[in-house]
Amino acid sequence: MPVNPSVFVFIAWRNIWRYPVRSLLTVFALAGGLVMVILYSVLVEGISRQMVDYATEMSTGHLQLHRRAFVDEQDLYATLPWSYLDAIETRLPDISAAPRLYAAGLASAQASSTGVLMKAVDAVREPMVTSVLSQVRSGTVDLGPASPSEEGLERHNVVVGTQLAKNLKLQVGSELILVTQAADGSIGNGLFRIAAILNPVDTAFDRTGVLMSIEAFQAMMYLQTGFHELAIKTRDTADLEISQAALDATVRRLTAEQPLDALGGAALVRNWREINPTISDMLELSRSMVIVMGFIIVGLASFGMLNTMLMAVHERTHEFGILLAIGMKSRWLMLMVLIESFFLALISALAGAVIGVWSGRYIQRHGIDFSGTMPDGYDWAGMSFEPVMRGHLEPAHVISACLIMTLVAMLSSLFPCWRTVRLKPAEVMR
Amino acid sequence: MNAGFSAASVCTMSKKPLGFVLLLVLLIPSLCARAAQVGAAEIGAIGVEATGVGATGMKATEVEDLIRHMDALWRGETSKALLTMTVTTRRYKRTMTIEAWSHGKHRSLVVVRKPKKDRDVATLKVKENIWNYLPKINRVTKVPSSMMAGSWMGSHFTNDDLVKDSTFEDDYQSSITFAGERDGRAVYEVTSIPKADAAVVWGKVTIVFEQSAMTPLHALYYDEEDVLVRTMRFDQPREIDGRLVPMRMQLQPEDKADESTVIVYENIEFDVPLQESFFSLQTLKRRR
Repeated sequence: MPVNPSVFVFIAWRNIWRYPVRSLLTVFALAGGLVMVILYSVLVEGISRQMVDYATEMSTGHLQLHRRAFVDEQDLYATLPWSYLDAIETRLPDISAAPRLYAAGLASAQASSTGVLMKAVDAVREPMVTSVLSQVRSGTVDLGPASPSEEGLERHNVVVGTQLAKNLKLQVGSELILVTQAADGSIGNGLFRIAAILNPVDTAFDRTGVLMSIEAFQAMMYLQTGFHELAIKTRDTADLEISQAALDATVRRLTAEQPLDALGGAALVRNWREINPTISDMLELSRSMVIVMGFIIVGLASFGMLNTMLMAVHERTHEFGILLAIGMKSRWLMLMVLIESFFLALISALAGAVIGVWSGRYIQRHGIDFSGTMPDGYDWAGMSFEPVMRGHLEPAHVISACLIMTLVAMLSSLFPCWRTVRLKPAEVMR
Repeated sequence: MNAGFSAASVCTMSKKPLGFVLLLVLLIPSLCARAAQVGAAEIGAIGVEATGVGATGMKATEVEDLIRHMDALWRGETSKALLTMTVTTRRYKRTMTIEAWSHGKHRSLVVVRKPKKDRDVATLKVKENIWNYLPKINRVTKVPSSMMAGSWMGSHFTNDDLVKDSTFEDDYQSSITFAGERDGRAVYEVTSIPKADAAVVWGKVTIVFEQSAMTPLHALYYDEEDVLVRTMRFDQPREIDGRLVPMRMQLQPEDKADESTVIVYENIEFDVPLQESFFSLQTLKRRR
């Protein structure tokens, strides 16, 4: 007997609408689960991207170059010569590089004093690599010489984070004293003026960081030999490994041409994942969490599907018995039930995807605003986030969420199908 | 930078905490008297034990005599000194000429005279507080407790060394652990162990004195694991106002054989007329 499969498709479709309310409830459950999964992935992706942006855009850059001794013990003397900066900029025109210097010191203001980490940046090059200087809360970023103090002593401008400003009771225009041990062993000291206060981005910097110009740093530290860190932004983030290899090769050639002193160790090129392993690990973790959560949510919603199909099969037992008695093959019955489940899953997937994408786009565009309860944002993994949580809708994630949902729903309909196969016409028709 | 971006690293970045120097000559120029006094005071406290042990070979009367002798030496409370400090590290070598005044063990004032770059940088110590005067910015800054482990003027001494010196007797339990001949010289060895509740850096401090003149020969500083961390050597003794004072001291960190801080006295005067009020923030700022 020739069988036209479209008949089964037609019958399955008609069967769904025999009890529209029941079918729609099932669709709601499955679609709701799908929307949850999509929104969850939108939020996780949004936070992940924000973290990557913060990690790279705000302070780290994509790649960094240091001396080994600086990475290991923040050795003040582990500098790379200034000639390296020029050489890297000429040989790798596709990257932007920003040199930095660091030193620990003691900051005193009128009221109190605290240990700080002084960070010297190049006011011209730094904005081409990171946006740290643009995160201004108050004041204007100016790292040049400041107006002299009341007694006519020379001062330089510095920029501090919100928490440090709060701890030392600093405002824009306040005077700050920095005392440290200079590279020649003397007491390095200087008078500074607060030019700007930055928004919290990096929790540690916000609490202890003081940004100044490289010139001011050198005048205070008597450290002219070079820089501690080179932060690098690549044009294309996709081929980070290629850029890293290119920089590594360039640096290796440079060290052959202009050997470094023995004490500071070798030059070291690292990408932001290697520099911030916690963030990198966290991203991996939260992405696998999306998959786990997705299976749990969809799995729960699929119990609705299981229930619906069990009921559908149960109430049609008599009907199936007649069909079997007049010669219908039980595997075709099973196929019919499967197609019916597939239609339910498909409708749910479509509805869920549409609602999920629509609300996901809303979160992407407007974010979820927590500024009422957390005006300063929140800290996570050593980073401060803005109080508006923004999502990011990744089409690939929507598609895989739909596939997962359809798959799980179909799996849950296997049990009702199996029951139709086992039907015995003589028993069920009684 | 990421690894170093923490408050903890801010504090430890400059130098390993070295802790207390019993005999920091800069601030306690009557060091021989001072050092011996620490030992002797404790001998008084444990006099019976010292006699009983017998290993020291001292009778009770001798211990008492020693205490009285040390007390007499210690009474010369004020001092004025001119010295040079030479710091040698892997990265730099610098020599400073320093003028120092002291009053008892709680008050001292140190002013750098040379080189020109550091001229008039001054340190005032009163009890457990340290202030620095910085002429370049014309400001006095107090060294906070978080910076106590930092190096003092780029040397191998820490700020803590200056402060903890005052409280050594309170923090440590000292006893004579050896009396007799060593390397052809009659010496006493005084070992100091921190008391249970003392917040100190060292696990043990051992000082060896020459017996007849009671001048220190060397001091050994151990950490809690009983590993030698640094050695202070004393030599070139000279008689000043009836005391035999070593004119040269060398502090040697054990983990850096090529580094040291050497202090050489050009002259020391004891019992100079100095009031307690001399050691004030006003003086610190005025003396430039």
